[in-house]
Amino acid sequence: MSKSTKSKAELKKLQRNTRRNLRRMVKDSHPHYALTAGRIFKYGLYSFGRNIWLSIAATLVMIITLLILFSTTLASIVLSQAADAMREKIDITISLQSSTPTETLKSMSDTLRQDPNVKTVIMSTAEEGYERSLQENADNEELMNVLQDDDMKAIMLNTMPATLRIRVFDVDNLSSIQNIVEHDESFTEFIHPEIPPTYDVNRLEIETITSWANVAKNGGLILGGIFLVISTLVIFNTIRMSIFSRREEIYMMKLVGADGSFIRGPFIVEAGLCGIISGIIAASLSLLSFNLIEPGLTSYGINLTTLTSLLHSSWLVFLYAIMIILGVIIGATSARLAIQKYLDN
Amino acid sequence: MILFEHVSKTYPGDKNPALKDVSIQISPNEFVFLVGKSGAGKSTLIKMITKEESPDTGRIVIGGIDLDYVTPRYIPYYRRRLGVVFQDFKLLPRRTVYENVAFALEIAGMSSKDISNTVPKVLELVGLLDKAHKFPDNLSGGEQQRVSIARSIARQPKILIADEPTGNLDKLTRREIIDLLQKINAFGTTVLVTTHDETIVNYLQKRVITMKDGAIISDQKDRGIYKLENKPKLTLKKPLRRKTLKQRRTNV
Repeated sequence: MSKSTKSKAELKKLQRNTRRNLRRMVKDSHPHYALTAGRIFKYGLYSFGRNIWLSIAATLVMIITLLILFSTTLASIVLSQAADAMREKIDITISLQSSTPTETLKSMSDTLRQDPNVKTVIMSTAEEGYERSLQENADNEELMNVLQDDDMKAIMLNTMPATLRIRVFDVDNLSSIQNIVEHDESFTEFIHPEIPPTYDVNRLEIETITSWANVAKNGGLILGGIFLVISTLVIFNTIRMSIFSRREEIYMMKLVGADGSFIRGPFIVEAGLCGIISGIIAASLSLLSFNLIEPGLTSYGINLTTLTSLLHSSWLVFLYAIMIILGVIIGATSARLAIQKYLDN
Repeated sequence: MILFEHVSKTYPGDKNPALKDVSIQISPNEFVFLVGKSGAGKSTLIKMITKEESPDTGRIVIGGIDLDYVTPRYIPYYRRRLGVVFQDFKLLPRRTVYENVAFALEIAGMSSKDISNTVPKVLELVGLLDKAHKFPDNLSGGEQQRVSIARSIARQPKILIADEPTGNLDKLTRREIIDLLQKINAFGTTVLVTTHDETIVNYLQKRVITMKDGAIISDQKDRGIYKLENKPKLTLKKPLRRKTLKQRRTNV
């Protein structure tokens, strides 16, 4: 600084004294970390109670965010399971002449089972096909009368194909099975002349459905991500508004000599507490809604047994833990970022 | 105790300086009024002491500490050595009177036992012991200002800065607050008060520093009175005035 009226020696002495005084000030302040942490926590709890409406608003927004997160994850799992279930249904149906002997059918099944891509082979003779038709139409008395007619039975047994239904591990690799069916003489001899194997048609339809399921799953994840970002911004703004309304307090705290952590701490504790409460509520609501929709989803053939058994065992604790941790992270980070502006000024 | 040496400050974007070559020396245990119109530079000067602002040129030494060396890390520690009172009290609205005063001690890491000993004593000194568990909103302006003073003196600072402490108060309450500040000064604290209140300044007749356009235009070290222009010093001669009135009556 210019224009000083002090001599160099006086300035040096002042500098020395200043440094000594500053060191002493720090030393005299006796920071008791546990005590300070306790006070920060206490004031965070007080603030939560005394700003109850803002706390409720922040908690509600956080609950919505966590529910969106849970629903997106659940939807992703369900769609993924649904796609798998659909792919499971991809099978190759080989229709054979009605007169194909049962022994031949068995030997054909054995040949097919030797292919490593084949999961199961279900064979059905013309008689079994006829019996299945009777069972499927048991409710329709009129049709049953027709089906049970001796002439009709004879016609059906003569025209109904025997079938081989093949399930595979990899639906994208059917060439080896196709090769056997189309070129093995024991097959070509008995293949039904009018009904060709169905693997291509059926597969394409199911592949289309599963690819749509994948699109829906990915779209859901992207939408969920967007919702998550929006609701995190809403939480951030709610906490920022809460801190903005208390900027005078922050200014006063700074002037009285509170350091950054002592000012920041209670705000973070308050937001963290909102996170804990919303985590618990969101986890409970998620569990409740899952239990409500689970029978419906299962009835559509979606296999949720793993998820259901997890949510009905001690793993449930993890759902709560994840929700609480996410709530605390979102709340505390928002508070930390929002308050920094007022501490820097 | 407080030393300003040729301190100047111009805020960015401002044409005129907020402080113009200000030099002041205030000794320990002094009671000083800083007067001047709005925009005279009083608040900037206070902000320099509280280290909210830094000078462009010049040196400020407070309680043996050259503020040039008080880096952001040391600012909280430095401020704990000051007591600051504001016109608008600046209390924590969601904390009780007791908690407001205790806050100043808690940030310094004082033990809970010491705090529970100190706070009632300070509240008793300002006459608010019976309102310890009330919230600021439930107190009158004068009471809120007394809480603010209690908070500022709880750590027994060597320097107390009061920025327009009576600005929002009625006449009777103003007198109470000034009496309280005098009491604190009598305990050995240096008190610097900025004010517009002519009555209070003339009532106490302490040292009065007058500022205008960022510069000090007068420094009445003894029996100062409120004046905003740099005219020859006027002293109040109450007996003479009474005599004059008597003479007038006689003349009538």
